[in-house]
Amino acid sequence: MNNQAAAIEVRSLAKFYGSHQVLHGVSLEVKAGEKIVICGPSGSGKSTLIRCLNKLEDHQGGTIRVLGTELNDDIENINEVRRDVGMVFQHFNLFPHLTVLENCVLAPMLVRKIDRKTAEEQAMAFLQRVKIPQKAKSYPGELSGGQQQRVAIARALCMKPEIMLFDEPTSALDPEMISEVLDVMIELAQGGMTMICVTHEMGFARKVADRVVFMDQGQIVEDGPPAEFFDNPKHERSKLFLSQILGH
Amino acid sequence: MKADLVMANDMFASPVHTRSFIETVRKDYFSTPVQALLTLICASVIVYVIWALVRWAFIDSIWSGTPEDCHAAAGACWAVVKDRYRLIMFGLYPYDEQWRSAIACLAVLATVILSCIPYFWSAKRLPVVWVVGYAVFYYLMKGGIFGLSVVLETQWGGLALTTFVFASTVIIGMPLAIVLALLRRSKLPVISALTALFIDGIRSLPLLSILFTAAIVLPYAMPDFLVGDKLYRVIMGAAVFFAVYQAEVIRSGIQSLPAGQEEASIALGLNYWQTVSRIILPQAFRFALPPTINQVVIAFMETSLIVILGFFEITASGNAAFSAGGWNSFYVEVYTFVALIYFVFTYSLSMYGSYLERSLRLMAR
Ligand SMILES: Nc1ncnc2c1ncn2[C@@H]1O[C@H](COP(=O)(O)OP(=O)(O)O)[C@@H](O)[C@H]1O
Ligand SMILES: [Mg+2]
Repeated sequence: MNNQAAAIEVRSLAKFYGSHQVLHGVSLEVKAGEKIVICGPSGSGKSTLIRCLNKLEDHQGGTIRVLGTELNDDIENINEVRRDVGMVFQHFNLFPHLTVLENCVLAPMLVRKIDRKTAEEQAMAFLQRVKIPQKAKSYPGELSGGQQQRVAIARALCMKPEIMLFDEPTSALDPEMISEVLDVMIELAQGGMTMICVTHEMGFARKVADRVVFMDQGQIVEDGPPAEFFDNPKHERSKLFLSQILGH
Repeated sequence: MKADLVMANDMFASPVHTRSFIETVRKDYFSTPVQALLTLICASVIVYVIWALVRWAFIDSIWSGTPEDCHAAAGACWAVVKDRYRLIMFGLYPYDEQWRSAIACLAVLATVILSCIPYFWSAKRLPVVWVVGYAVFYYLMKGGIFGLSVVLETQWGGLALTTFVFASTVIIGMPLAIVLALLRRSKLPVISALTALFIDGIRSLPLLSILFTAAIVLPYAMPDFLVGDKLYRVIMGAAVFFAVYQAEVIRSGIQSLPAGQEEASIALGLNYWQTVSRIILPQAFRFALPPTINQVVIAFMETSLIVILGFFEITASGNAAFSAGGWNSFYVEVYTFVALIYFVFTYSLSMYGSYLERSLRLMAR
C-alpha cells in the first residue's frame, strides 16, 4: 500500500438542506488502505458526510476529491468515482425483484461491461467470501437481515471498488446477526481495503480502525487513533457521547 | 421465521378444512328458521332464472335457419349470428378478402399475447414483436403488395378493427405513459410542471371530446401531409388519453419504491437510464400491476366509442347485422354474441393480470 496517496480529501465542506446548514466546514483526509470509523450522536451529519463522498448528496461549499477526482457537476466524473466507491446502507437496499446473484452481477455487467459468465464466477467468489454462496438463487426477501447485509457487501465488492463506505451497516440488525456482518467487515479490513464506516460498534472500531472521527452538530470534534479516543477523549462532547453509548 | 409463519398458517387453516361442506351449509345458511326460509326463497329464484336462461339459450333455441324459423320458436335465435357472423367479425371489409382480415386480427392478437410474455420484456425484443406484428396487420389489411387488392381504412371493420385500435392504443400509450411519468418526476421544475399541466389538462377532458378533436378538428390545424387517415389520428387521441392516466398509475408505482432503491443503484455506478429501466420501472410496474390491468381493460372497452366517429368496429357491425334481412327483432342474440367476445377479451386480461401478480409475488419480498 502506498501510504502517501490520499484516497479521499475533504476540505472545509459545507452542506445545506434549504437554509439549514448541516455540515460546517468539515475537513477529512483518508489515505489509501486506511480504515476510518465515524461516530457521533444522531443528527450530527455522519450520513450526510459519507453520502457526499459519492455525491448521493450535493455539497454547497468546500471541495471533495476522491481518488484524485474532484466531485463537481461533471456527471462523467461522478460516475467514474461511483464505480470505484462501494457503499453499504443501513437498510441493505438490495433489489428485491432480482435474485442474490443477479443483484451481484448487475452493476459489473452494465457498468464494467463484464460478460455474464465472468461476472457470475466473480459474484460467486464474493458470495463465498461473505459465506452465503448457497443463497445465490434466492430472492432478498427470503433472507435474514444479517444475510441481506452480507449480500449487500458482496454486491458492492463485485464492482472491485477501491474504497468502501458503510453507513451504520449493523444498526438495523437483530443483535444476534451483528457479529456475522462485523466478521465480514473485519476480514475486508484485514485485506487492506480503504474503509469509512459510520458505526457505533466500538469493539469493531478498536479492532480495525486506524482513526476514529467523532462528529457533533455538523463538525468534526475529534479525530485520532481509537485507543486515544476511547481511553482519553479530549472534548467534553466526546466524553459525554462515550459515557452515553458505553453506559448501557 | 418464514417456516414459523407457514406452520402458524397451517394451524389456523386446519379447523376450516375439517368443517365439511354439509356442516358449512347448515351453519351459514340454515341456522334459524327465518334464515332457512330466506335461503330457500333465494335458492328457488336462482334455480328458476338459470333454468329459464338455459331453456332460452340452449333448449328452445334455433341454431340455423331463416328469420321465420326463429319467430316460430320460443328460444334464442342463434341463426342470426350464424347467418351474419362475417358482417359482425369483419364489418364492410370486401367479402372475398375477409380471410385477410381474419389473419390480420390473429396477428394483432399474437402481438398482444407475445407482449404479455416476460421473455419479450426487453428493449430489444418488444419493438421487434411490435414492428413485425404491425407490418403483418397493415399490409394484410391494406393490401397493395404481393398482388393483394387495396382495401382502404374506411372499409376496415369488425373485430379486426377493434383489436387493432385497442392494441395500438396500449402499445403507443404505454411507452408514452412511461415518458410522461418520468418527466413529471424530473428534477427540473419547468419540465415537471409542464408535464403535470399536460397530464392534468388531458385528464380533465372526456375521451369523446379528444377523439372528436383528433378526427375532425385536427385536420384543419395540421399541414395536409401530416393529417393521415382519420383512423390513425383517432388512435393517437386514444393513446394520449390512455397515457395520461397510465402515467399517473406508473408514477404512484414509482412512489411506492423505498428511496434506497434508486440510491443503491446510482451508488453502484448505474446511470439514469440503467437505474430507471433495471431498478425503478420493473418494481414500479409490480406495485402498479392491478391498476395497470384495469386501465388496459378500460382501454379495450372504450374502443367502442369510435363508432361515433363513423368507424365500423364490432359494436357497429353488430348493429348492422340485425338491421337488415328480417333479423330486426333478434338484436338480443347479436348483442349477446358481441358481449361474449368482449367478455373473452377482458376476462383473459384479468386472468393474465392475476397470474402476473401471483408469479411476481413469488419472487419478491
Ligand atoms: N433529506 C434531508 N432534508 C432535510 N434535512 C435533512 C435531510 N437529511 C438529513 N437532514 C438533516 O441533516 C442533519 C444531519 O443528518 P444525518 O446526516 O442523517 O445525521 P446522522 O447520520 O449523523 O444521524 C439532521 O439534522 C437531519 O435532520
Ligand atoms: Mg445516519
